[in-house]
Amino acid sequence: MKDQLFDALKSNTADYAEIRVESEERTSLAYRGKEVESSTRSSFVGGLVRACTRGGWGVVTFDSLDNLKERVVEAGRCAALVGREETQLAEVEPVDRECPAELERDFRGVSLDEKLKVIGAYNQILLGVSPKIESTNVTYADTFRTVHFASSRGGRTASVRSYFMEERPRAICVLGATAREGSLVQQSHDSVSTNRSFDAVLGLEAMAEQVGQRAAALLTAPKVAGGPHTVILDPKLAGVFIHEAFGHLSEADFIYETPQMRSLMEVGREVGVKELNVYDDGSLGGYGGSLHVDDEGTPTSRTCLIRDGVLAGHLHSLETAAKMGAAPAGNARAISRHYAPIVRMTNTFIDKGNLPVAELFAGVDDGILCCDMFGGQTMLEMFTFSAAYGYRIHNGEVGELLRDITLSGNVFETLRAIDGIADDQYIAQNAGGCGKNGQSPLPVSFGSPHIRIRDVVIGGS
Amino acid sequence: MTPFLEKAHDHLLTGLEAAKRRGVAGAKLSFGRHESLDCEYESGRLKTAGAHENAGFSLEVLVDGRLGTASGNRFEDLDRLLEDAIALAAVGRQAHFDAWPAPGSATAVATHSEQAAALSRDDLLAPCAEIVDALKAFDSELRVDAWTSRSESESLLVTSGGVLHSAQKTNWSLGGHAQRTQGTDILMTGHGRGWGEVNEHFSAKPIIDCVLEDLRRAERLVEPPSGLVPAFLPPESLSMFLWPLSLGINGRNVAKGDSPLAGRLGERLLAPCFTITDRPHADFAPGAASMDGDGIPTREQVLVREGVLQRFLYDLDSAGLAGAEPTGNSGCRPYHPVLRPGSRHSDQLLAGIKDGIVIRDLIGFGQSNILNGDFSANVGLGFRVQNGEVVGRIKDCMVAGNLYELLSLDDVELSSDLDYQNATPHAVLPAVAVSSRPR
Repeated sequence: MKDQLFDALKSNTADYAEIRVESEERTSLAYRGKEVESSTRSSFVGGLVRACTRGGWGVVTFDSLDNLKERVVEAGRCAALVGREETQLAEVEPVDRECPAELERDFRGVSLDEKLKVIGAYNQILLGVSPKIESTNVTYADTFRTVHFASSRGGRTASVRSYFMEERPRAICVLGATAREGSLVQQSHDSVSTNRSFDAVLGLEAMAEQVGQRAAALLTAPKVAGGPHTVILDPKLAGVFIHEAFGHLSEADFIYETPQMRSLMEVGREVGVKELNVYDDGSLGGYGGSLHVDDEGTPTSRTCLIRDGVLAGHLHSLETAAKMGAAPAGNARAISRHYAPIVRMTNTFIDKGNLPVAELFAGVDDGILCCDMFGGQTMLEMFTFSAAYGYRIHNGEVGELLRDITLSGNVFETLRAIDGIADDQYIAQNAGGCGKNGQSPLPVSFGSPHIRIRDVVIGGS
Repeated sequence: MTPFLEKAHDHLLTGLEAAKRRGVAGAKLSFGRHESLDCEYESGRLKTAGAHENAGFSLEVLVDGRLGTASGNRFEDLDRLLEDAIALAAVGRQAHFDAWPAPGSATAVATHSEQAAALSRDDLLAPCAEIVDALKAFDSELRVDAWTSRSESESLLVTSGGVLHSAQKTNWSLGGHAQRTQGTDILMTGHGRGWGEVNEHFSAKPIIDCVLEDLRRAERLVEPPSGLVPAFLPPESLSMFLWPLSLGINGRNVAKGDSPLAGRLGERLLAPCFTITDRPHADFAPGAASMDGDGIPTREQVLVREGVLQRFLYDLDSAGLAGAEPTGNSGCRPYHPVLRPGSRHSDQLLAGIKDGIVIRDLIGFGQSNILNGDFSANVGLGFRVQNGEVVGRIKDCMVAGNLYELLSLDDVELSSDLDYQNATPHAVLPAVAVSSRPR
C-alpha cells in the first residue's frame, strides 16, 4: 500500500497533498426487550485525497482504489480553483511508522455466539431488575479500522515523505433500560468502550443491575427546580463539562482566522480558578481518543490547555498551527474515509486537585450531586450538559435521587465559579463520541476529579 | 437505468440467486451510489472545493425465521458477505414476517432534476460569494462561513418478493453562518436550505435576510424574562419541538414499549390547531419516496388530526411485531410531515405577545428524556419580545418543560405562513418556563 500511495502522489502538482485509504470491518449485535433486535456486519474500503494550493483545499473522496493518480490530480485541480493566498502548514518531521493494534484479546477471534451470549446475559439482568422495566437496549459492536496515510510532506522523493499505517480497533457495549409507569417513561444507560481487549466488555453484570434499578427509580424521582444551584459534578460529568465548556473553545479552527477570537483565547489569559489544570493527550495509551498518529501524519502528544487557571495552549491542525505559530500535537482527526481531518480533541481531562472528596461535600449546605452524562453541546462560550441522574445534597450529606438535571452556563463565568477540585480522578471509557461539523461520533475520552461549582443554572419549571 | 445501476442490477440478481441456492427463505438486496460537488467559504474566504463519490450495497436474509444483515462496497465481497449474513441470521432477530411482499402499486414522485444534477461549480460558488459579501458588508468584523453542494444519487432494490425498484434523486444545499465576537460575548447565527430541484429557493437572499435579521435583533443584549412566558417559534424551532412526536409514533418504539404514546391512538395529544400529514409524494421534498426500504409503496397519511393521534408508522417487520399493517415507512419514520397552517400571519402572532421570547436555537435540546417529551436547554440564540416588538437578544438562560404538555395547551397557535418547504408554520406557545441567574 505504501508504494501504491507514494506512486499516486507523484501526480501531485499542489503545494501539499495527502492520501488516506481506510478499510473498516464492523460487527454489531443488539437486544431490544426480550428479543435480538439486529445482527449486522459490514466491510468497507475507501479513502480521500486532500490537496492544498495557495491556501485553498481540494478534497476528493472515493470508494475504489483504482485511479488513485487521477484522484490526486482532481484534488489538486479543486485546490487550485479556490486557493488565493499562501499555503501555510506547520513543519513536522515526516513519519514512517506502522502501528499495529495492541489487542490482548482480539474481538475478531470471538464467535458471534459468544458475543451474543455476553449481551444476552446483561439483557436478562436488565429485564429482571424490576417489573417497571418495559424495554431494554443492549448493544455490542466492534470496529477494526485500518488507516494508511501518505503525504507529500518532506520533499519530492519517497524516502523522506510521510507514511503511516495505524490499526484502530474499538469495541463497545451499551446497556440501556426503559422504565414505564402509565405514560411516564424514564431511561437509563451506561457503557464501556475498549481498544485493548474483548474482555473489557465482560463482567458488566453489576453495571447492568444499576442501570435497570436506576431507570425504575427515576420514575418516582423528583425534578430539580430551575435556577442557580451549587453543584458537585462526579468525574464523568465533570469530564463532559470540560470537554464541552472549554475543550471545543480550544480548537484552533474556531480561533485562528478571527482576530476577536484570537484575542479572547490568547495564551496567558486568566480563564479559571488558580487550582484548575486541563490537558488533552492523544498519546495516553488505551483510551477512546488514543492514537499514535493523527490523520495529517502528526504524532500525538500532550497539550496543556489551562495551567494554574491561565490559558496555556490550543489544539491544532497543521494549518492552524502554522498560522498561530504553534506546534501541532496530533489533533487533526477524521471520523472515517469520507471526511477530511478537522481539529478535534482526543483524551481531555481536568487534573487532580488537593481537596479530599469528603471535604468537597462538607462544604455544601444545599446543593446537587450531578452524576454521569446524558450528553453535552456547546456554542463556544455557552454550553449545556445533562446529568444522567443526581442526588440532593443537604448539609454535606447525599440524599434523594433526582432526575432531569440539565446544566447550562457561560464558560468564562463557570470556570471562575469552580470552588473545589478533589484529589480523585477518573477518565471515562464510554461508548459515545464527540460531534463537530457533521463528523460524529468521534471516539474521545474525558475525565476529571469531583469538582464543585457555585451558582450553576439548572433548567426547570 | 444508468450504467452503474445496470452493473449493480446484475450483481444484485446474482446475489439473490446465490441466496436462494443457499436455501434462504427470503432475501433483500439494495445498492446505492452517491456523487456530489461542494464548496465552502471559511472566515470569509473561499477555502475548500470537493468532489465525492461513494457507493455501497447491503443484503438481508431470512433464514429459519431469523434475519441477518451484511453490507459492503466491493462487489467482489458479495459472496463472503452473503455467508456473513447467513451466519448472522443464525443468531439474529426473530423476523415478524414470512416473506418480502410482492410488488404493489406505487405512486410516482419526482425526485430527480436534470437542472439540479447539472449545477456547475460556478453555479454553486456564486450564491456562496453573495452571502459572504452581503454579510461582510453589513459588518466587516463578522466571521462569515458559507457552503453549498449539489448531489445526485441512485439506488436499486431487489427482493425475493419480486420487487425490482430503482430511483434517482438530486439535491442541493445552500447555507450561511455568521459569528460576532465582542469581548467574551459570542453570537452565532445561520440559516440553510435544501431541495431536490432548482427553484426560487436556491438563492442567497433569504439566507442573507435571515442572518441579518438575527444580527440586527441581537445588537442589544437585554435581560431575559423569568417564569412562564409565551414563546414564539420559527418553523425550524417548531420542527425541533415536534421531534418527540416522531419518536412516539415510531411503530417499533410503540411495539417495544419505549413510546409514551403506546395505546393512545384516538386520544387528544396536541392542541386542536395541529393537523399533521406525512406526504412522501411531495415532489422534490428531501424525504420524497415512492417505495420504502422493503419494497412497500409509500402513502400519504394523516398522523395527527386536530390534535388527536391518528396512527403509528410501521415498516414490514415492526408491523408484524405489533400485529398491524405495514404503512410503508422505512425505519417507522415519517418522510415529509406537513402541518396545516393557522389563520393569522406570523407577524401578527409576534405582535400579539406582550412579554415573551423568540427561540431561534437551543443548545442541548436532545439531551434530556426527549422520548418522554422532557427538555431543558440553554437558549443558544433567542430574543425578548415586549409589546409585540423584538427588543433585544437574551442569553445565559434556560428553557425547560414537557413538549407534549406545552404543545397541547388550547392557546397554542400556528401561523398562516409556512417555511420554504411549505411544511411547517411558526408557532406561539403560551407558557414556557425560562430560568436564569439574577444579575
